[in-house]
Amino acid sequence: MSAPAPASATATAAAGALDEATRRALADLLLAMADDEFVIGFWDSEWTGIAPLLEEDVAFSSLAQDEIGHAQALYQLLAELDGGDPDGIAFGRGPQEYRHARLLDHPRTDWAFSIARRFLYDTADAARLDQLAASSYAPLAGLVAKMRREETYHLLHSAAWVERLALGGHEPRRRLEEALERLWPDALCVLAPLEGSERLVEAGVLAEPPHGAEQRWLGSLAPLMERLELPFPFRRAGQRLEPTITRPASPRGEHSASFEWLWGEFTSVQRSDPEASW
Amino acid sequence: MEIYEVFRQEREGAPMQHSGNLLAPDPELASHYAREFYGRRQESVRLWIVPRAAIRDLDDPDLLQPPLDRSFKKPVGYSADIKRKLAAARTRLQEQP
Repeated sequence: MSAPAPASATATAAAGALDEATRRALADLLLAMADDEFVIGFWDSEWTGIAPLLEEDVAFSSLAQDEIGHAQALYQLLAELDGGDPDGIAFGRGPQEYRHARLLDHPRTDWAFSIARRFLYDTADAARLDQLAASSYAPLAGLVAKMRREETYHLLHSAAWVERLALGGHEPRRRLEEALERLWPDALCVLAPLEGSERLVEAGVLAEPPHGAEQRWLGSLAPLMERLELPFPFRRAGQRLEPTITRPASPRGEHSASFEWLWGEFTSVQRSDPEASW
Repeated sequence: MEIYEVFRQEREGAPMQHSGNLLAPDPELASHYAREFYGRRQESVRLWIVPRAAIRDLDDPDLLQPPLDRSFKKPVGYSADIKRKLAAARTRLQEQP
């Protein structure tokens, strides 16, 4: 993707129909989603060559590649809405300008940790995609329909591994539990409302308020977490599941030193010659 | 870890063809890996993922390669002489009014 692809006529028309506040909020949403996919894609690609078995190496690397592909499509949508080119948005920012959720600030760590993060991210992302499938912004609804089909496989894969580690004896289970306990507060950041979320709900870009997606996400996880007796820090308040942990104050900012290191890695080629034509 | 043999169908109605094998810790992950190796480029419409242990392997030469001459059981077993006679009979038939 060396040159910005021309915006499609439908995307331009759809963007033109939005008022300024909605367009701004939609751009923030697209950037947050794209950065989430981009950063988890890079973290998980670190397993290439060192996954527990060759078959899994191929599978996990392929999942990571899918995520970077989704990020590319989302950056493209953002470029059509907001100007700029997808490469420039993906690689041309400083580390603190990225808008990914805190869940993706942690390093790769061990296999159980990467699986726990993937599982929490994939399931939260599925709830987010569900609320966007019926989006009034047609270019996004169209892209989400394609992404959901690929995410089906991601969900099955990470759930299979969670179950395997949970039932795999003392050591794998201990590592999985520790990872989940450490990640749960930051997992809540994936679906945390953005500044313009209300505006997006009013405009129908988001088909439901952010807390609706969070409840569906937690509700879908509860049976598995209960069956496997895995950390699930929520209590029932009527129909709702309320966290018993503190939500981080800054869901998508103040990125960690680990992320700054990753940023240095994934921008290293681009920074070596920013003007080069690839 | 178990070995799984993978068969793929390229399009609806085509035969299932052996593609290769893979190693997986359980049947579910075997399905994911099979998809990864034999289906991710949209080259298949169906996969069969079979534990190798479920396959009955038959390679006994006494059963499959009997030592006595059984060439008469083969469809290509006509001798040159018979082929010549057959051709002559066909020609005769055509020449009849």
